[in-house]
Amino acid sequence: MVERLSFYLERNSPLHRLNPTTKLVVAFTLILVAFLGRGLFLPSLIFLLILAPLSFLGQVGREFLRTTLNLLLPLFAFLFVMQSLFYPGGKTVLFGFWIFAVKLEGVRFAFLTATRVLVMVSSFLLLLLTTHPGVLLLDLTQRGLPASVAYILASTLQIIPQMQAKAATILDAQRSRGLDTSGSLGRRIRALLPLVGPLVFGSLVDVEERAIAIEARGFRSSRPKTSLVEIEDRPLERALRWLCLLAFILALGSHLWP
Amino acid sequence: MAVIVIKNLTYTYPTMDHPALREVSLEVEAGEFVAIIGPNGAGKSTLCYTLAGFVPHFFKGELQGDVYVAGQDIRHVRLEDWVLKVGLVFQNPFNQISGAKFTVYEEIAFGLENIGVPREEMKRRVEEVMALTGIADLADRSPYALSGGQQQRVALASILVMQPEVLVLDEPTSQLDPIGSREVFQVIRQLAHQGVTIVMAEHKVEWIAQYADRVIALAEGEIIASGQPAEVLTDPRLPEYGIGISRYTAVARQAAEEGLWPPHQRLPVTLEEAAAGFRAIEETDYARLR
Amino acid sequence: MRVCVENVHFEYPGGVKALRGVSLIIEPGERVAIVGQNGAGKTTLVKHLNGLLRPTQGQVIIGDWDTSQVEVHRLAQRVGYVFQNPDDQLFCRTVAEEVAFGPRNLGYAPERVHQLVEEALYLAELTDKAEINPYDLSPSWRKMVALASVIAMDTPIVIFDEPTTGQDARTIRRIEHMIEALRQRGKTILTITHDIDFCAENFERVVVMGQGQVLADGPKERILGMVEVLAQTYVEPPQLTRLGMQLGFETTVCTPAQFLETLRRRLGHYRANGLGRSEN
Repeated sequence: MVERLSFYLERNSPLHRLNPTTKLVVAFTLILVAFLGRGLFLPSLIFLLILAPLSFLGQVGREFLRTTLNLLLPLFAFLFVMQSLFYPGGKTVLFGFWIFAVKLEGVRFAFLTATRVLVMVSSFLLLLLTTHPGVLLLDLTQRGLPASVAYILASTLQIIPQMQAKAATILDAQRSRGLDTSGSLGRRIRALLPLVGPLVFGSLVDVEERAIAIEARGFRSSRPKTSLVEIEDRPLERALRWLCLLAFILALGSHLWP
Repeated sequence: MAVIVIKNLTYTYPTMDHPALREVSLEVEAGEFVAIIGPNGAGKSTLCYTLAGFVPHFFKGELQGDVYVAGQDIRHVRLEDWVLKVGLVFQNPFNQISGAKFTVYEEIAFGLENIGVPREEMKRRVEEVMALTGIADLADRSPYALSGGQQQRVALASILVMQPEVLVLDEPTSQLDPIGSREVFQVIRQLAHQGVTIVMAEHKVEWIAQYADRVIALAEGEIIASGQPAEVLTDPRLPEYGIGISRYTAVARQAAEEGLWPPHQRLPVTLEEAAAGFRAIEETDYARLR
Repeated sequence: MRVCVENVHFEYPGGVKALRGVSLIIEPGERVAIVGQNGAGKTTLVKHLNGLLRPTQGQVIIGDWDTSQVEVHRLAQRVGYVFQNPDDQLFCRTVAEEVAFGPRNLGYAPERVHQLVEEALYLAELTDKAEINPYDLSPSWRKMVALASVIAMDTPIVIFDEPTTGQDARTIRRIEHMIEALRQRGKTILTITHDIDFCAENFERVVVMGQGQVLADGPKERILGMVEVLAQTYVEPPQLTRLGMQLGFETTVCTPAQFLETLRRRLGHYRANGLGRSEN
């Protein structure tokens, strides 16, 4: 029984009230600027001066920072160790020990890559924390995204927790029949078989029934669709989206400039 | 006027070598509540799928004979719009959750969005149907986080809200608690009074006897009995076919063998009939001794 | 083997309090049905008996084992649990292999496994289907395979979660025969059910649950007549019990035999003295 299917946190903040497409456009722009723009500190400044303050404006600051760190710290550690030691063509040795030498170029590269990834992950995270996935998909559908694509995206968001719940039930059923799922790796692999069969068979049956179910709800009806939720879109937001395009062009320009 | 007219329907699924339905003929009037009983595998679900157009349009396979619903030949309807005429609720409530929506309220509105109902009307209808099916308190829950019985109510509400002319239900109460099941039968009965035509496959004979207008018994793809609940549900052949009967009927049949049920009186199918019959026996006995 | 549930509370990670102080002692060989509305905590309770869930507070003792100290696969030696949906557990290529899976996991000798499988197949009326792939059987027969695969484990305690849901009369008869055979072997049998007539005819003790608590617990002849307590948790007395009440029977009847016996006695009573009939 999974109650929470996405990162979304319900708040009454200016960020939550923004049109989902605006937030999506801003997220993409920040990512593109971070990857295309010049300057070693550009991505980190985007994070510190734009994303972090926005998360507090959206009243999700704590969850934003905690989740970002949890997701990225292991990756950062790995990046720094690998790149600072093995970056090809590094000349400026900062310090060395045993057979290793930490090179400045490697550290710079690792820092830039890490902060770019940071902007990418945290932009999306902020979008997901402040935007209900259903509303985002609805808005995109109203802007021309095919309903079937939106459906696949929405149901994929839900299928993972569902599959987890189903797998947990199957695991419980087999443990109740004395299946030992602890112990050595070999034993655990052998214990997988009794779980995979029911999961696959169950999914096949489910797919057919689910197709019938959504058909029965008029999903492919030839009538024009309406929607339960009304999504606001203000002129100011439209202007903001144009501004984002401008920022993207500037970043692209600076990237291509010799 | 007959809303459903089936003549000599024989249908075979593409992967099967014998027909799931054989020579089935049936007429259902507007506003009639018809219950279908029969053992598992008798063809109840197939009949439900046929009325809803999924046989033959979704399952393909070979369909012989005629099936007319609301004057239209089922073979020539467009399945995607047919669902506006015939609503289908099937057994497994979990698989009836669309997956497209994140709350029960949105889930119930999903069908209305698809058929283009204006927002204000949509909200009114969703709220009405949630009250009718007793799930108003679940509005903001995730449909996936509900118990089987609650999901079953949501599945029913999601189809009722679309206000189809014909409502086809395949064991819609299987996971509900006893009083919950009876409530669903009451809601269905009420809809029939409002003119909705109902076809419902069910095992719960006590509520069928009380609420349905007519009962059809299926076995091995054929109709073996059809008529008033009192008539069909007391048919002595039902147990041979593996069809359940109510305890009232069963106990009265045993009593009749000992002369403890009024002679020449039809066996009871409801609590009231059983009570009246046994009371009469006690009273005649009492009177005879006076 | 005795089952002892002592003041068990359980809260799901989301904060839903599913059990709020449940206490229950089940003696060896008892047949107990747990009834109550959707969401009353029935499944949560029985999942405590084989360790799938562990109490947030209180304890569950099976024989001399505290379930919070013993792993689920070891508790499977003492408690067999048939899940509601057979498709959550079937995976073998033949019915016979499927039924042998549990007893093999428990480490029984090959001869004993063989014997237990034969017997379970016989009780489930599956002997002629032993070599068929479970997925080629109808859902009703898959249910019987799931039942057989758990009773073959020969545990002193067997739990059924909603065994009759979606089943037809013939399959319910088969399940009833199986329960009767288990009774003769002295097994403790527990079931969760919404089918109150099935409960009345196959079990001797009824536990009524509502909102995570035990509302009533005792012999079925006492519990199934408690109209108000049952209604609190969306349950009605069985058909014959209600009929007995309508006819003014002094005792609560649960089965056809009890009903007919009471009827005969009342009629005999009038015959004997003609006047002693209670007013109703």
